[in-house]
Amino acid sequence: MSRLLQVIAISVSLLLPACSPAGNGRVSLVVYSPHGKELLSDHEQRFEARYPDVDVKWLDMGSQDVLDRLRSEKNNPQADIWWGAPSDLFEQAGEEALLLPYRPTWAEAVPPEARGSEDFWYGTYKTPEVIAYNSALLKEDEAPADWDDLLDPKWKGKIILRDPLASGTMRTIFCAMILRELEKTGSPESGYRWLGGLDANTKDYVPNLTILSQKLARREGWITLWNMPDIELQQSRYGYPLAYVLPASGVPVVMDGIALVARSEPRPAARDFYEFVTSRPSLVQAAREFFRIPCRNDIPSSELPSWIGQTLIPPMPLDRDLLRKHSREWMRYWDEHIRHQGDGGPGPAPALPGGIGR
Amino acid sequence: MSVTRKSTLLLTLPVFGLLLWLVLYPNLFVLWKSLVSDSRFTLAHYGEFFGSASQMEALGNSLLISLGSVVLSALIGIPLAFVFHRFDFPGRRIFAALASLPVLLPPLVGVIAFLFLYGESGILTRTLQILLGLSEPPFSMRGIPAILWVHAYTMYVYFYLFVSAALKRLDESLLEASLSLGASRTRTFLRVTLPVLTPAMVGAALLTFMTSMASFSAPYIFGGGVRVLSLQIYNSKLNGDLEMALVETVVLTLVSLLFLILLQRYEATGKYRAVGKGASPSLRPLRGKGLRLGMAVLGISAVLFLLLPHLTLVLISFSQDGTWTTEILPPRYTAANYQRLLADDRFLEPILNSLKMATLATAANLAFALAAGWLLIQRKLRGRRLLSALTLLPWALPGTVVALNLATTFSTSDPLQARVLLVGTFWILPLAYFIRNIPLVVRAVQAGFEQLDPNLHWAARSLGASWFYGLRRVLLPLLLPAAAAGSMLAFVTALGEFVSSIVIYTVDSRPISVEILAQLRQFNFGSAAAYGVLLILMIAAVFLLFGRTLDERHRPAGQ
Repeated sequence: MSRLLQVIAISVSLLLPACSPAGNGRVSLVVYSPHGKELLSDHEQRFEARYPDVDVKWLDMGSQDVLDRLRSEKNNPQADIWWGAPSDLFEQAGEEALLLPYRPTWAEAVPPEARGSEDFWYGTYKTPEVIAYNSALLKEDEAPADWDDLLDPKWKGKIILRDPLASGTMRTIFCAMILRELEKTGSPESGYRWLGGLDANTKDYVPNLTILSQKLARREGWITLWNMPDIELQQSRYGYPLAYVLPASGVPVVMDGIALVARSEPRPAARDFYEFVTSRPSLVQAAREFFRIPCRNDIPSSELPSWIGQTLIPPMPLDRDLLRKHSREWMRYWDEHIRHQGDGGPGPAPALPGGIGR
Repeated sequence: MSVTRKSTLLLTLPVFGLLLWLVLYPNLFVLWKSLVSDSRFTLAHYGEFFGSASQMEALGNSLLISLGSVVLSALIGIPLAFVFHRFDFPGRRIFAALASLPVLLPPLVGVIAFLFLYGESGILTRTLQILLGLSEPPFSMRGIPAILWVHAYTMYVYFYLFVSAALKRLDESLLEASLSLGASRTRTFLRVTLPVLTPAMVGAALLTFMTSMASFSAPYIFGGGVRVLSLQIYNSKLNGDLEMALVETVVLTLVSLLFLILLQRYEATGKYRAVGKGASPSLRPLRGKGLRLGMAVLGISAVLFLLLPHLTLVLISFSQDGTWTTEILPPRYTAANYQRLLADDRFLEPILNSLKMATLATAANLAFALAAGWLLIQRKLRGRRLLSALTLLPWALPGTVVALNLATTFSTSDPLQARVLLVGTFWILPLAYFIRNIPLVVRAVQAGFEQLDPNLHWAARSLGASWFYGLRRVLLPLLLPAAAAGSMLAFVTALGEFVSSIVIYTVDSRPISVEILAQLRQFNFGSAAAYGVLLILMIAAVFLLFGRTLDERHRPAGQ
């Protein structure tokens, strides 16, 4: 016993001194962001070089998780900045009084849809949603060229998707499909039918992007739906055999934004950070290094990489009000009534869920 | 006797107090919230839950998976414990320690290693496919069988460790007596050995059942859409449907409680206390070269098989990201994944954080478990059943829920409501680890106490030892195997804890698991695996350290 106690006592005494945070006299600034370690460290270093008395600490997490966290920390906010999420999440957070209004100096340089209500958030990047495929298995002209091509029976069992409930990107794509049908028919029914068709061709829903790209690279599936910057980054930086097509009938674009988190004593450095990462040099850097398309339209196209001009065409109009009001209900319906109704895996071919009733 | 009674009283207050405050209170909070909508009492959410086919499906699946996991884990863990702790053969000690390693696959990457091994394009799957000349993969790692496979693979360790600790405490003279009275080996096993092991097996069954009920990673990654309660909670929350998430949490808790009550009923029917005289069992040296070799091969190959996911992880950590696509094994190897980790100036931070928090939590767990375990064997203690239930309750809750409860309850300071501001501080994570590991350590220590003859303490007292001396020199040394097994498990669990950590970690207390997630999010699959390998090495070191402590202290005198 004494030996056991010794082990514990020694380890406690070794470790306890490290408990107290190092007081280096710098002001810390906490950023919650889904933008990933590399983009975040890059901005952290450049920001700290310019503001040496600020210590930027970021936590990298999904945008849905950020919202969850802000809710649970409401009484004792930890973050200063929320950097990165589709606009509807920011709107939701604004309604729940989790954000602090702030009007950036460049507010006029973004289109109206990139300005949040009551200045709660502003747009940073435009993220196009695309059809991606394994480029070792399919040539560019063999890949599905448009959304409706995905329902072709020849793709049965070849599509792998990220689970849409947990992913802002996938939710946007699914809701865009419903919105598209809603415009044509006036009800979500035919949108549900479309998603039913996609489900019939879908082999599996996977929980995160890393597994998704592994499965594609290892040829468990051929095709997926995801956003352009991530596919581009995986292809060019990590050598995954992935490529994408811009769907011919329209590319849904997620408006990525930035916001100040509501706290009783906002730190002044938060505004500096906000302005810094949305400054023209930072946006140019993010475009060149991380395939992020800036929302600001006051950046001369000569400074930006040339691919940007071709990527946003043609945009798919998204009714953001409808999206915000109904996305929860649509996704819930999908989860209860559409997911795995037509099993894309081996087995008898299921019929399209024609009679989806309430 | 009077001192015992006094000490019991002295312990009762803090033990119950802590449990009521940290375990029961947050649960009641959740129950209350699930019954109240717009400050009015309502059963509507429950009506919705029980009226929904998909929710019923989730409930059924969760039950099926949990019961299946218990059976499969027992089938692996108990025989392994016998092989390693009743027989002696070359390599026994190192493999006995290695056999407990799978309990903690590093979070996320560990589970993903299963994909690379048994998944549709996994090493074993592709090898089999080529060997058998199949055009399609022979199996795919999906659905309920896949979940059961992962559960059995990782949770057998509960049975293995608990039964091993009990075997070390088994009184050889009982077996000898039984045999010399003419009982056959089988009969001795069934009527003597097995009953003595029952507390350990009941404890392991409970932990396995509850862990399976609340298990998240396996259904999340391999379920392929199979509905289980723990995932329903997660999905409801993500979809912003907090009321439904609360109802699902309550149902999950109730199912686990039901299982707990059933097992306790069963446990209460038997008498397992062994009279502790004589030496602990000696390992049976195997006679005959063939038998020796056979047992060694059996035990060692079983352990190697169980360690395959870990080995796969090592392989991934040295493979170049993005190059391993259609091959059975990675085509290109590199040390870049490790170099990338070491080049990061924040590299050590999460490791130190995790070590620190796991140590604090485990020290608290051990102290608490010794007190609670002592109370739990006082058969006359009123509220003993309640105490037992309370100590097990944290396992009935998914980690997400434990964390959320803490985040909700301790989000402000309010002495009147017994609330202290912990959110955003360093202390909230060690506290979460402590709470989650209460059942683990208490159960292990309790099993140790159950096998202990309290007369030993009185004997020491009657020979003139003080109460404390008797505790220190008689009871505690006898408890050591059980206490060490429990603490060891608690420590490594806390070291890699993910599910609660992700909800409540702060900027200054980022644990290893969260760092692994960050690497994964950035497609640094190799670096995530490298972090996982480092974690495995740390866990192995802990097991070797504690394992040595165990063996040295407990080698029977005169051998």
